[in-house]
Amino acid sequence: MASTATSASTTRDPLEPIPLIEGAQTDESLNTSLLDHVWRSPGKGWWTLFGLALAGLGLLVVGITVTLWKGIGMWGNNIPVGWAFGIINFVWWIGIGHAGTLISAILLLLQQKWRTSINRFSEAMTLFAVICALLFPLIHTGRPWFAAYWLMPYPSVQGIWPQFKSPLVWDVFAVSTYFTISLLFWFLGLIPDLASLRDSSRKPLQKVIYGALALGWRGSGRHWAEYKWAYLLLAGLSTPLVLSVHTIVSFDFAVSILPGWHTTVFPPYFVAGAVFSGFAMVVTWMVPARQFLGLKHVVTMKHLENMNKVILATGLMVGYGYAMEHFIAWYSGSKYEFAEFFEVRQRGPLAPVYWLMMFCNVVVPNIFWWRKARTNLLIMWVAALLVNVGMWCERFTIIATSLHRDFLPSKWELYAPTWVDWSIYIGTIGLFSTLFLLFLKFVPAVAVTEVKELRHELAHQAHGHAEEAHG
Amino acid sequence: MSSHDQDPPQDHPEDHARSTSPRQGEGASASPRRISLPIVDEALAATETASGAVREQRKYWRSIAEKEGSPKLAAAALREFPPGASELPEVSRRSFMKLFGGGAAAAGLAACHPSDEQAIPFVRRPEEVTPGNALHFATAYGVEGYGRGLLVESHEGRPTKIEGNPDHHDSLGATIRYEQALLQGLYDNDRAKQLKHKDEPLSWNTFLGQMATLAGRHAADGGAKLRFLTDPTASPLQLELRKRILEKFPKAKFTSYSSIAGDGAADGLRLAYGKYVEARHELTRAAVIVSLDADFLGEGPESVRAMRQFASGRLPGAPMNRLYVVEPALTVTGMSADHRLRLRAGDVAGFALALAAELGRRPGFAQLAGIASGGHGVTAGDPKWISAVASDLIKHRGQSLLMAGRRQSAAVHAVVAALNAALDNVGTTVTYATPLLADPLSGPKALAPLAEEIAAGQVDTLVITAYNPAYTAPADLKFDKLLARVPNTIYCAAYEDETAAVCSYIVPAAHQLESWGDARATDGTISIVQPLIAPLWGGHTDIEILSAFLGEGDLGAYEVLRRSWAAKQATVPGATGEFDQVWEKWVGDGVIVGTETTPEAALTLDGAAIQQGLGALLAAGPKGGGVEIAFVPDYKVLDGRFANSAWLQELPDPVHKITWDNAALLSPAMAKSLGVEVERDNDTFSVLVIEYKDRRVHAPALIAPGHADDSITLALGYGRTGSESVADGVGFNAGLLRGSDAPWFDRGAQVSLATGMHLFGLTQNHWSMENREPAIATSLADFENPRSEARELIEERRAALPTIHEPHDYSKEQYKWGMAIDLGKCTGCSTCIVACQSENNIPTVGRDQVVRGREMQWLRVDRYYSGELEDPEVIVQPLACVHCETAPCEYVCPVNATVHSDEGLNEMVYNRCVGTRYCSNNCPYKVRRFNFLDFTSETPAVRRLGMNPEVTVRSRGVMEKCTYCVQRIERKRIETRVAGRLIEDGELKTACQQSCPAGAIEFGNLNDLKSRVTKAQGDERRYDLLHELGTRPRTAYLARVRNLNPELAKG
Amino acid sequence: MSHGGGFEPRRYVIGQFAGPEAMLDATRKMRERGHKKLDTHTPYPVHGIEEALGLGRAKIPTIVLCGAITGACLAYALIYFMNVVDFPINVANRPIHSPPANIPIMFELAVLLGGTSSFFGLMALMRLPEPYHPVFEAESFWRASIDGFFLSIEVPAGQSPEAVAAELKSLSDVSIEIVEESER
Repeated sequence: MASTATSASTTRDPLEPIPLIEGAQTDESLNTSLLDHVWRSPGKGWWTLFGLALAGLGLLVVGITVTLWKGIGMWGNNIPVGWAFGIINFVWWIGIGHAGTLISAILLLLQQKWRTSINRFSEAMTLFAVICALLFPLIHTGRPWFAAYWLMPYPSVQGIWPQFKSPLVWDVFAVSTYFTISLLFWFLGLIPDLASLRDSSRKPLQKVIYGALALGWRGSGRHWAEYKWAYLLLAGLSTPLVLSVHTIVSFDFAVSILPGWHTTVFPPYFVAGAVFSGFAMVVTWMVPARQFLGLKHVVTMKHLENMNKVILATGLMVGYGYAMEHFIAWYSGSKYEFAEFFEVRQRGPLAPVYWLMMFCNVVVPNIFWWRKARTNLLIMWVAALLVNVGMWCERFTIIATSLHRDFLPSKWELYAPTWVDWSIYIGTIGLFSTLFLLFLKFVPAVAVTEVKELRHELAHQAHGHAEEAHG
Repeated sequence: MSSHDQDPPQDHPEDHARSTSPRQGEGASASPRRISLPIVDEALAATETASGAVREQRKYWRSIAEKEGSPKLAAAALREFPPGASELPEVSRRSFMKLFGGGAAAAGLAACHPSDEQAIPFVRRPEEVTPGNALHFATAYGVEGYGRGLLVESHEGRPTKIEGNPDHHDSLGATIRYEQALLQGLYDNDRAKQLKHKDEPLSWNTFLGQMATLAGRHAADGGAKLRFLTDPTASPLQLELRKRILEKFPKAKFTSYSSIAGDGAADGLRLAYGKYVEARHELTRAAVIVSLDADFLGEGPESVRAMRQFASGRLPGAPMNRLYVVEPALTVTGMSADHRLRLRAGDVAGFALALAAELGRRPGFAQLAGIASGGHGVTAGDPKWISAVASDLIKHRGQSLLMAGRRQSAAVHAVVAALNAALDNVGTTVTYATPLLADPLSGPKALAPLAEEIAAGQVDTLVITAYNPAYTAPADLKFDKLLARVPNTIYCAAYEDETAAVCSYIVPAAHQLESWGDARATDGTISIVQPLIAPLWGGHTDIEILSAFLGEGDLGAYEVLRRSWAAKQATVPGATGEFDQVWEKWVGDGVIVGTETTPEAALTLDGAAIQQGLGALLAAGPKGGGVEIAFVPDYKVLDGRFANSAWLQELPDPVHKITWDNAALLSPAMAKSLGVEVERDNDTFSVLVIEYKDRRVHAPALIAPGHADDSITLALGYGRTGSESVADGVGFNAGLLRGSDAPWFDRGAQVSLATGMHLFGLTQNHWSMENREPAIATSLADFENPRSEARELIEERRAALPTIHEPHDYSKEQYKWGMAIDLGKCTGCSTCIVACQSENNIPTVGRDQVVRGREMQWLRVDRYYSGELEDPEVIVQPLACVHCETAPCEYVCPVNATVHSDEGLNEMVYNRCVGTRYCSNNCPYKVRRFNFLDFTSETPAVRRLGMNPEVTVRSRGVMEKCTYCVQRIERKRIETRVAGRLIEDGELKTACQQSCPAGAIEFGNLNDLKSRVTKAQGDERRYDLLHELGTRPRTAYLARVRNLNPELAKG
Repeated sequence: MSHGGGFEPRRYVIGQFAGPEAMLDATRKMRERGHKKLDTHTPYPVHGIEEALGLGRAKIPTIVLCGAITGACLAYALIYFMNVVDFPINVANRPIHSPPANIPIMFELAVLLGGTSSFFGLMALMRLPEPYHPVFEAESFWRASIDGFFLSIEVPAGQSPEAVAAELKSLSDVSIEIVEESER
């Protein structure tokens, strides 16, 4: 406590030109500032956003009701385009989810300090994105009331089991595992913060609720000892998990024989795409969030810039993926593959989506070569938004465009989404936003405990350096 | 009804005692005494349903008695549809079906209400009838006067499937699309159900009474003001009734009218031979066939037979026939041509003359030169082409055949007759016989006099048994207005259609499958038409109506028919013995052997007459400039009489793949010059205004590759305004442009763009094969050269592919099902599609869903154009599930809902399917169909009577596809197991195979090395579709080989 | 025991430190002085706490390993039984038993069971949820999750908390509370 004056300088990570935590912070001050938005009653902005989100949620309910009532025919799907919005959105949401896990897990393993202020945020995003994604595999089926459990390995009266050579069954396991693990990981990280919420809450009801959620955490050293391991191991498990999930999702396509799907580059390229879109989503949400939740001092430009670097890198990987697809389409000598990539996608009736994808995913990220763009809030926000659009277009191109013109020209059909397709898609965005806003209201958007720990570490290092200087 | 009472049930036990088992599938096809049952059923059905129906009717009379005071109310009470039903704005077919459902419930008729199904036959079950086992009954059906023999499958007294009668001259076991769809006409809730006079319900007896008084009045003046308007008919009974009626009313007149009749043939042959004769064609003997606008494979009473015969001459190795087609718009025949010349319909005459002239210049054909000179230099067509054809014809003198289409004028038919005569074809490929039809002429020419008489007020009573004249008559006759002027019009109506709206008496017609009668094949062979079910709504046949004027109306068709034949028994060669037995044989066999008529032997062609006649005829023909409009009977709804069949409406026409519509077909060049726009996925086109004389219609354009320039082809039969709810609002009525002077084509139409675009429900929007050659066609020369590209392609697509793991071994199995489709034989006629739909309870989805690409037909016929768009070569390729041994659809299904059977069937387990549609995505052939919406549950009760009880009806959200007719396989398996033997080759046929007129489809056991399918798959032309994917399909294709004329072969 | 059975309240001596270093130091010393039931309470994990409290190797890793292995094996067994033993059927001519197709699910189940066992294993080891604990009785203990660094010593029966408190006080300048488990 002695040197609060110096702590301004000491809380700098000497390796980092831009500070990870700005200003003179104590555990106390961090605690108050980071929990503030939970205690504070939400402002107008929050309520308007929440209203919009609920409206979106309403659309979702309508869309799903209509679908269940009348059937998949209410969507634009047809033969040959058996899959469209349903699976497009599924893959899109799953992809978005991945950044969260990646940030919290992989960066943890890589001991990236800048992770701490954004991991809670992005984990939450993962969770909600996966919830949105989980909707689609179910409602896109012809008979959801059966699909809901016939894909599960249980002894059914039909005496028949799931068909384990089908990537869809792999999906079921992958996605449900992903959801469970993400949830546990998120909650585990949340426990100490819930404790601090419990202990800093003023109203008895809050105390009771947060108390219950904190499970009686008392920061015991014996607990911390095991806790750190458990957290690390969950991170360790999540890392291959996140890679496997999108790999398996990509198998849905790669395992088939359809030109445009039947592609070995899919697993890595899907994962890259997932991280790409995920980070973009984090930026899209983080830029306004840090503004309105007063998190500027912990989510600094440094974090945003790093994320933009990741977007640039993964963007380049995605671009490479596209290049590979096209190269193999030509190199394989398969007339179907060639036609798919160089005729149907580029000149077919759905070509505009393809070109939009190319622009958003291959061209746009390159502005992050420039530091100015990486550090300009408006530019990065627009770019991130475009990347999200681009990644959606990518899924559309892979799924709908490939399907609508495959082997036999006799069964080529046009695909066009219906209002139900759109309302369900927009609806999931509503669902996501609703959950996210609730999260921002009731849970610390930043891992308070970890930030305190980081602050301590940084102070320690600074101290060490100071001593060296003296001695 | 009453007829049945004539035939007391107690005779029947003996009948059964005498009879052996009725016709069961192909099983007993030879069995002569498969008879008694039809009659028994009929009689027993009578006693049962009669009582049922009578119950209905009594209740019904009572209600009228109650409403004595206010007939309006009574009429209102009888409305078929709930109020407002007819005002619905462009409602989809499915919502119509809803209404049907309502209608059925409202009607609540004994015959159609499921709960009363047991009211149908078999009170005392004859021992050979086992519930669940189908019986097959022979009958006949025809739309143009001749009857084609049918075998109708019946479950518990309900007809469920139509097949061809193998013993019948015009069927040879196959059928044509309309016949496959007959069931929909039978179980159609829109049918006229109520006998009425000016909207006032009548009972049959009251009606007979009123007819008797009418007849009495007319008898006074010998029927001077009594007229009959009938369909063209060759039915002996009809002819006999006519004779008797004319005896009773000497001054009465009969007129045959059909809007699709071609009087050119009759007149032309009359000109050539001095009297009316009709041509019969024998394609088996023809090495060179020249069709002058004759769609002989696609339409007409001979078509099924013609297709079989034509196909038999398409196999390389055996001598192949060569087909030249001259036509304006592509037809089934044109698609099958080796060489096709696109000409305006009006220029075909010029072509005929040019050909005659060309031949005339060759040694030995001088007489043709003379005839050609009668044409005063009218000519058309590419001289090189013509001379090549001429040489080919000469080379095959005596085994060539020229045919002119129904649309062509007497001039063309006369010249063609002359050409056939000059080429010594008469007697071999073509013969001429005395007409079988009651009236040689049945076109506008026949109708016009009647119209004049009506206009002159010389008609008091007009009995109409012809199909819907108010709609089909040429526009300039204003026939609907005329009909309204006739004091008494008695209309035997299948539906309450345009004609019913203007007639005073409406007699609900019994469906052909509910009727007794007789019919003649094109060679004269007589068939007895027997009913498969008692009239669902108590309809009556034209025979009963005609008999009413002989005071025999109460006898009923059955008795009239039976009596007439009892009297004629002696005239039938070899029909000796007790009449009952003879009768049973006739009825059971479906053909009366030995009744065919022999062609005229000594006919001499009168060249001079033709030469003189031509000038006048040609002068009468179309001339001058302007766009040509040419009409065709619609491929699906014909003249409109099938317009209420959803199966036919949704059947993609073979060439343009249009469903639920007709279009103004025009060539790409013409479309360009008109500025026709194409939007969306090549399925949305500008709407045209076509003005001709004082008439105009709005017609959506459709670009038709291979169409003649400056000519527009319009299909008849659409734009209906009757009470047929399926037909309502579909397409436009091209008949509004039609004049009685030029019923088929004429120049001088003004065509311009109207505002707006029209979206067609096309099942195939794409024209080219994109260099993928899924369907292989090659020339004979190339095929015989093993080095040729085509041959290498074929070899490549049949060669064994490397596999990672051993393919499953099916050779140990008892059966290994497989199919072979011969593209050389297939004409694309699409009968198989309707057959499949009928056999497998496949729902129709309506135009809107077709537009969205959700048609449900398991079998589709792909059509590809190659070469230049203006004058393309066409190839068709039927495609259903090919039952891959390594099926891509199977390994992606998460729930094991599509798996493989021991015998190699790719099975679809409906009740396990959750509808992920992954299988369809991964199916490279895209032959799987998905129930995107609930397409079945709204099917009206009455329609369900006709469904195949052996095939599950699929629910919403379930994938479905071709099963190789597994239900037929299993049925045969059971039969043969009971008999303790294996299924023999040929005794098991899939629905598509059985209906195929060309015999292009073989199906059977690939483990049987002698089976037809094994042989076919061993053929040199055999290749696998998408073979390179290694799916090991069980359905193989035989490449099409074109027999090109070296002189014309391109490149 | 002494007061004829019944409820025997646990007693704790709780000291609050200015920072982690002081706390660690005190902890180490108290342990050296033979105190057994020591525990620290900090808002975030403090480096070196394990050795200060003299804890052994963490048990979680072993638990997770077992979970993961069970998952993988279970998956393979499950699939083998369902598609090979109980209901073998020709699907697209693929081999009935095809190990490669099993890998994805084996991996997923390994992660699932590994992950869940790490979470619930942890809960078991920490004996959480445990809504009440005597240390919560301490007035200032709420800071433990915010910025307070505490050392708690459970005083064994027969020892006087005051003595322990004094001992602790002697080690470093620290505010001390003595709490006793409340009866419910």
